[in-house]
Amino acid sequence: MPFDLNFLARLLPALLEGAEVTVELAVLTIAICLVWGFVVALAQATRGPLGWLAGGYIQIVRNTPLLIQMYLVYFGFSMGGFGLSGFASGLLALCMQNGGYVAEIYRGGLQSVSPRQYEAGRALGMRRWTLYTTVVLPQVIARIIPPMTNQSISIIKDTSQVAAIAVMEIMKISEVWVETSANTYDVFLGAALIYLALTSAASLAGRLCERRFTFAQ
Amino acid sequence: MADISSDASSTAIDVRPLARRPMLEISGVSKSFGATQVLCDVSLSVAPGEVVVVIGPSGSGKTTLLRCINLLEDYEEGTITVDGAPIGYRRRGSERIRMSERDIAAARATIGMVFQSFNLFPHMTVLRNIAAAPVRVKGAPRETAEARARELLAMVGLSDKAAEHPARLSGGQQQRVAIARALAMDPKIMLFDEVTSALDPELVGEVLAAMQQLAQGGMTMVVVTHEMSFARDIADRIVFIDGGVIVEQGKPDEILFAPRTNRVRAFLKRYNDRYRI
Ligand SMILES: Nc1ncnc2c1ncn2[C@@H]1O[C@H](COP(=O)(O)OP(=O)(O)O)[C@@H](O)[C@H]1O
Ligand SMILES: [Mg+2]
Repeated sequence: MPFDLNFLARLLPALLEGAEVTVELAVLTIAICLVWGFVVALAQATRGPLGWLAGGYIQIVRNTPLLIQMYLVYFGFSMGGFGLSGFASGLLALCMQNGGYVAEIYRGGLQSVSPRQYEAGRALGMRRWTLYTTVVLPQVIARIIPPMTNQSISIIKDTSQVAAIAVMEIMKISEVWVETSANTYDVFLGAALIYLALTSAASLAGRLCERRFTFAQ
Repeated sequence: MADISSDASSTAIDVRPLARRPMLEISGVSKSFGATQVLCDVSLSVAPGEVVVVIGPSGSGKTTLLRCINLLEDYEEGTITVDGAPIGYRRRGSERIRMSERDIAAARATIGMVFQSFNLFPHMTVLRNIAAAPVRVKGAPRETAEARARELLAMVGLSDKAAEHPARLSGGQQQRVAIARALAMDPKIMLFDEVTSALDPELVGEVLAAMQQLAQGGMTMVVVTHEMSFARDIADRIVFIDGGVIVEQGKPDEILFAPRTNRVRAFLKRYNDRYRI
């Protein structure tokens, strides 16, 4: 298939503009989920209503499609009378769903630290904060980097779904270009390459984190 | 039972003269897991510098007793003091009051514990493993703590392993690091729970040697072990536990060669049958 270089030269800046929005969405989602997911994981570890609430939340957000969650947020807010922008709705839905996944990753990480590690720390006189910051969390962080990297890659790809609520990110811009030109294939190929570049960057970042934080087991 | 103190209702700080004050005093400790009573009214007094070896069948409550001393297990009755300071519970009159988490942590910092399964921190180098608690718990400057850690490593013969991670060490080496880690807090007493049971036979000796050296240095120690010849060498006193009660105690040779009770005789016979070459 012969690529139209002129066309690509006009397409690229447009897609890169979309990429800026994609990156913003993805970075915000990842950053918020790192905190929110941890809060949910801690809540889930408690006994009683808070634990059930957190568990129920995780089940619901993980077991319904992201696209539907986005619509529910987007149209729900506008029905409630205070419309949320497409970007904000998309961000909220992305955080809701991925917060559930990230909470599960944290839970796995926390469970991977043996009770004996806690005992060893306590036997040395460590109190809760010191125990967590010195003994537990460094081990949790080391173990969650690979799944967290995967989740980040999945978040980057998932941002494409906010096109459905008219956010001008890579996917939406591609759709617009497809409608106004005949080069459907080139447009989507270009979009795919940009996603690939973004996910590769995430995977490289993950690799660097691994090198920094993991230890021989 | 050679129990010099009958004042089980003693309050916060023991004011007896130093020479007479036990380093560890367990009085009337009872502990259950659900419906099973694991320790029944156990009392034991350990003098400064004394090495007490605890023996007994599997499931008799040895581990639980050690874990009660630094409150890794809670117990329903009794009190324990280390160097006159209560651990976990104080008495006010007839009331038994649980100490705050802060006070319990501070008390634990004075007790060194070495576990059967080493429990080193896998994400830290050997040096960090040893220096971490002095820095994070006692607020010691890192250089001081690391200098001390190197001394302790030299003492257990592992100077060349300071920069390694625990996963790179043999079991015997890991256990010696664990001993150094506990010693770094300058504990008043050291507790050892079957610290050689998880080791290959050829690695047992190096760990026992480190403990022997520690005992000779005057450390107060409570040692749970199945190494009878080691027990005989190191112990000032052997305590035999069965079914959560102290059945018999005395000088090593008395307990090992002239036990007064059938239960100890039966235990030693089974032991000898199993380990005779
Ligand atoms: N966490 C626990 N929950 C329930 N039972 C326990 C627990 N830990 C120990 N036990 C029971 O308490 C008894 C004493 O155990 P332990 O102190 O480990 O004995 P030992 O160290 O002498 O082999 C055993 O019957 C054991 O099954
Ligand atoms: Mg045991």
